Amino acid sequence: MRAMVVAAVAAISLVVLAPSAGANARVCPHAWSTGWQKLANRVDAPVYCPTWMPNPLDAQIGGQWTDIYSIAKDRSYLVSFLEHGDLGSGDVHVNFRGYPGRRTVPKCPAPVGEGSVPCFSNPVGKLRANGIDATVYQVNQGADQWHILLAWHYRGSLYAVSEHVIPPYRFSTQVKRNLTLLLKSLVLVKPSR
Amino acid sequence: MKIDRRSFLGGAAAAALGGAGIYELVDQLSGGSPVRSAAAVGLPSEQHLLDLQTTHSEGVPVIVPPLHSEILTATVHDVDLRKAQSELEDVLRGLESKYEPLTPAGLGVTVGWGIPYFARVRGAAQRHLPFDRRARKPVLLPTRRFPSDPRDTILEHNDVAFLLRSDARSHIDDAEARLRALDFLHVTSIRRGFAGGGFAGKTSLPKKMAIAAGVPGADLIPDTSELFLGFTSTQKAGLGPRLIANHETLGYVDLRTGYFHGGTHMHLSHISEDLEAWYLNFDFSERVLTAFAPGQKAKMNQQTVPQGPKDVHDEAQLQHSFGKTGRFGHSASIQPTSRLQRNHVGPDGTVYPKGTAIPQRADFNTLDNPFFFSANPARDKYTKDPAAGVHFVVFNPTGDDFERNRLAMDGRLPGGKTLPVKQRSRAQGFNSVLTTTHRQNYLVPPRRHRSFPLAEL
Repeated sequence: MRAMVVAAVAAISLVVLAPSAGANARVCPHAWSTGWQKLANRVDAPVYCPTWMPNPLDAQIGGQWTDIYSIAKDRSYLVSFLEHGDLGSGDVHVNFRGYPGRRTVPKCPAPVGEGSVPCFSNPVGKLRANGIDATVYQVNQGADQWHILLAWHYRGSLYAVSEHVIPPYRFSTQVKRNLTLLLKSLVLVKPSR
Repeated sequence: MKIDRRSFLGGAAAAALGGAGIYELVDQLSGGSPVRSAAAVGLPSEQHLLDLQTTHSEGVPVIVPPLHSEILTATVHDVDLRKAQSELEDVLRGLESKYEPLTPAGLGVTVGWGIPYFARVRGAAQRHLPFDRRARKPVLLPTRRFPSDPRDTILEHNDVAFLLRSDARSHIDDAEARLRALDFLHVTSIRRGFAGGGFAGKTSLPKKMAIAAGVPGADLIPDTSELFLGFTSTQKAGLGPRLIANHETLGYVDLRTGYFHGGTHMHLSHISEDLEAWYLNFDFSERVLTAFAPGQKAKMNQQTVPQGPKDVHDEAQLQHSFGKTGRFGHSASIQPTSRLQRNHVGPDGTVYPKGTAIPQRADFNTLDNPFFFSANPARDKYTKDPAAGVHFVVFNPTGDDFERNRLAMDGRLPGGKTLPVKQRSRAQGFNSVLTTTHRQNYLVPPRRHRSFPLAEL
């Protein structure tokens, strides 16, 4: 419940502060910007920094909620934030992905047998906000399994953000609300060199 | 009264509900009962038959199931069985005279008896109980677990089960009250549920009920889905025709004295369904191949996938498909046992073509966890929190016939071959999202002997 209240307050704040803001109208929060700037520099491509996260997470790379920070040889990245509620509060898990220079959905190992399947599949709709036209995928693989995922293109590259459907965000509708807020909150961080 | 999930979860709706709990919502959410045909004349020998109407879903003929179903299970106190036989028969006749017994507009009542009951009439049972010639076993087999069942699946030992089916909740409530008033019955469980709606493009009852109850994954169910898992289960070609599940129709059974002519076998189980796993881990194409078969063609989001006699898989096709893909679908795995492998002429001259379905299912979705009422809540792991599931009810000519189908669902084929997949893996049809909590086999006598069969002998 506390998470939902915070989420609601955050949503109101965003609307008040930046009612129709484009991706560059806000800035990556100071405490988080160093990590996202380093990421943009390492992959030599723009990355998306959130300015809102579902309670209790923040998006400080290397901070207490960082779960995965992975950059592959092809410059694709996965940045994951996780709160694992050992005392029964549930998990809050958000993944950010980028695939510089790639437009197609990547392939993942098939869950049964050999071969591969799309890492994101079962598109169930579109979300448009913040100048981004995202596809909502309901069935996802790997670190995004059991997540609802948004994927979109920016200047020839594929980006994605996903959140796990699990208490306290028990329903996909709750997760979609969070993802909408995340989408609205994203700001581009470009390589500085 | 319009009820959304928020108000339900907030207690407003719950507070307005009576003894039937969430199932009262079926009447409110269904938008009225289906139009049913006029009452049939005369009662058939079979207890398990109900005249259900046919409609079309995505161009495929489908049966319109009863809106409400309920099962009472019970044990019988140590009483004079002949006296109890008379009293129960009076109750059943009273219900038949008050409610048209062959249509869900009235009330369908089916009474099945378990092995513990027949142990009480052992001598007569030894002479009269039907014998499965094909399997060389009794028709009524001890209840067992199957390879994909969890170790803690409860094998029940009820004396009797009453299946009540109607479009009107009040008819079932009346029947339940009359049965509970019989002082020789100790009710061990009450199981409630619903099915249908959605065929005319409206939001289906299972979707509405799941949303109202707030069960995990409810929001992922397709709006018009007949059942929680998103596919139409009652297509006509997938259900056995009228008399096919009788002991005598397919010639599997030695009826011995003929006492049970017109009877059938009933298996009853409760199965939990993990809707989130189904809808978040299986995309539509994988749901189709899991529910039906690898390579099954379906339009995106199609719910009623034709499974007529020409669409069914035989064992050779199943093995070939498994060899290529390493997985099998639910329907394809069962069809080599659940469909006739050759034309058959019944004892009344009815021709049953190759590919005809044998089992007659009467399953229905539920929010019971696992039952609406349990006399032994600790053993049954009863909780009031709603959960998605199915009360699976199926009529087969024999217990072995049911077991053949259920084993095939786990890749154990009737010819003795096994398709090597890990139990409950997603390569094994639906099994990875289903968990069976309870099972029991019953014998359903013909109507004339439905009350305490053999007690008069």
